[in-house]
Amino acid sequence: MMNRFFTNTRIFFEGAYYSYRALFRWLRPTTYLASKVLAPLTMMIFFVYIGAYASGSNNASFYVIGNSLIFAASSAIFGVTMSIGGERWSGTLPYLFGSPANRWAMFVGRAVMHIIDGMLGVFIGLGWGILLFKLDLSHTDPLALLLTILITTFSTSGLGLLMGCLSLITRNVMLVNNTVYFALLVFSGANIAISELPRWMQAVSNVLPLTRGVASTRTIVAGGSLADVLPMLEVEFLIGVVLTIMGYFFFKVFETQAKKMGTLDIF
Amino acid sequence: MKRLFLNWNILARAFEIEMRQNLTDGFVVFGILIQPLIVAFMALWMLKGKGADNAIFVVVGSGMTGLWTTLLFNGGNSITGERGNGTLEPLVASPASMRVVVYGKVLANVTQSLLSMIGSYLLISLVMGYPLTLARPGLFVISLLVSVASLVSFGLILASLFILIPDFARMVNTLEFPIYILGGFLFPIALLPGWTTPLSYILTPYWAAVALHGAAQGTLEPLQIAGTWGIMAVFSLVYILGSGRLYRVILYKARTDATLDIVGN
Repeated sequence: MMNRFFTNTRIFFEGAYYSYRALFRWLRPTTYLASKVLAPLTMMIFFVYIGAYASGSNNASFYVIGNSLIFAASSAIFGVTMSIGGERWSGTLPYLFGSPANRWAMFVGRAVMHIIDGMLGVFIGLGWGILLFKLDLSHTDPLALLLTILITTFSTSGLGLLMGCLSLITRNVMLVNNTVYFALLVFSGANIAISELPRWMQAVSNVLPLTRGVASTRTIVAGGSLADVLPMLEVEFLIGVVLTIMGYFFFKVFETQAKKMGTLDIF
Repeated sequence: MKRLFLNWNILARAFEIEMRQNLTDGFVVFGILIQPLIVAFMALWMLKGKGADNAIFVVVGSGMTGLWTTLLFNGGNSITGERGNGTLEPLVASPASMRVVVYGKVLANVTQSLLSMIGSYLLISLVMGYPLTLARPGLFVISLLVSVASLVSFGLILASLFILIPDFARMVNTLEFPIYILGGFLFPIALLPGWTTPLSYILTPYWAAVALHGAAQGTLEPLQIAGTWGIMAVFSLVYILGSGRLYRVILYKARTDATLDIVGN
């Protein structure tokens, strides 16, 4: 029993480490930095300036916070999806499904490094906000902010795990990923206040990850306490748990179907 | 004359094949239709305080984002894509001009990306109910044609840089939004710090956006619009002449170094 626990723990962490390393092994440090530091900055600048053009006033912090949190979704959706879907592209999926390894440890472990990576992305985004757009964090509770970012990255990783399963059955995974990612830009309230959206869009926003994370971060940066945002964070966490379980369920279903039909490597 | 006819034939074939292949590529569909529509929706929502007149600005601006994204990712990968498919060596070895083939491929990408503008127009006009009118339709159409020619010429340079400088291709994701910003697609570049203005002036997407926004909204006089055509024509000439030199380097590397097919050379 104890032996099995240790084996699963090892699979969990080794899977996390190696899948992340394999995903980025082709990157050089400069390329990685460009993707993690420069690309998010340019996207943030784009939306901050549209906002400035729209309102004519300086409300940069609204867009800086929204787009910083989006970086968590970027790591979660693209990173986690490719950690799972990459097995298919690399031709290693049959071996993975053929192994006796615990599926839960193997599946959820894929998200761990991307949660850390996503959190780093959010901090980089907020750092750019402080440097370039005078984002004021003087009233911010750092622990509340840290917890908010952790939970938000976790919930978006849940979405990534679910999307990762889709990458096992579709050729057009980048189409699906990019569409979901850009949809989050609209629905999460990162660039448009949720209250301004039509009712049906608000309903969609409410069941998506990230929405409450963005709202909580704005509240905390404005001087709110952890108690103020805790109810929102609880729901955000719950959404992450539900998405992870859904992802695992589909992962098992696709594994069974693929084995039955012999379609593991068929694109 | 015979050579001209042959080149035209090669260009048309490259155009047709690229067009057909793109229709099966989900990422192309995303770049041409889905992303520009989402950008159009967001921009329209963010800029709605500026009035209904602004809708045509958003149509043109979001269409330009689709145009640039397609040019960057698909046009830029025109040669590296051949390498990925293992067809680069036959392409280099064939008597057909590589530049003409790439021009045909990029032309197909840019032509398809015009769907971005049509999609944004339909979304904002039919779905969201904003009244859309082109202030100077004739000048807009000519501006569109000149812009396409100029952007395709720019694509020739991009495609060659992608294969000659591997780091350039690896950093492609970082090149998307800077052009949205410097091109003034969805906000005036006057909002940006002054030191960025010269950077905008040397980019053909900026002049394309100036011409299209100016003709669509009627904010530019015909002579001013014609001026942007002249600038784009000069840029196109520079790109075409510059690409001649770059493609000679590519062919030299292929035939002398034999390193063209090595990814990351």
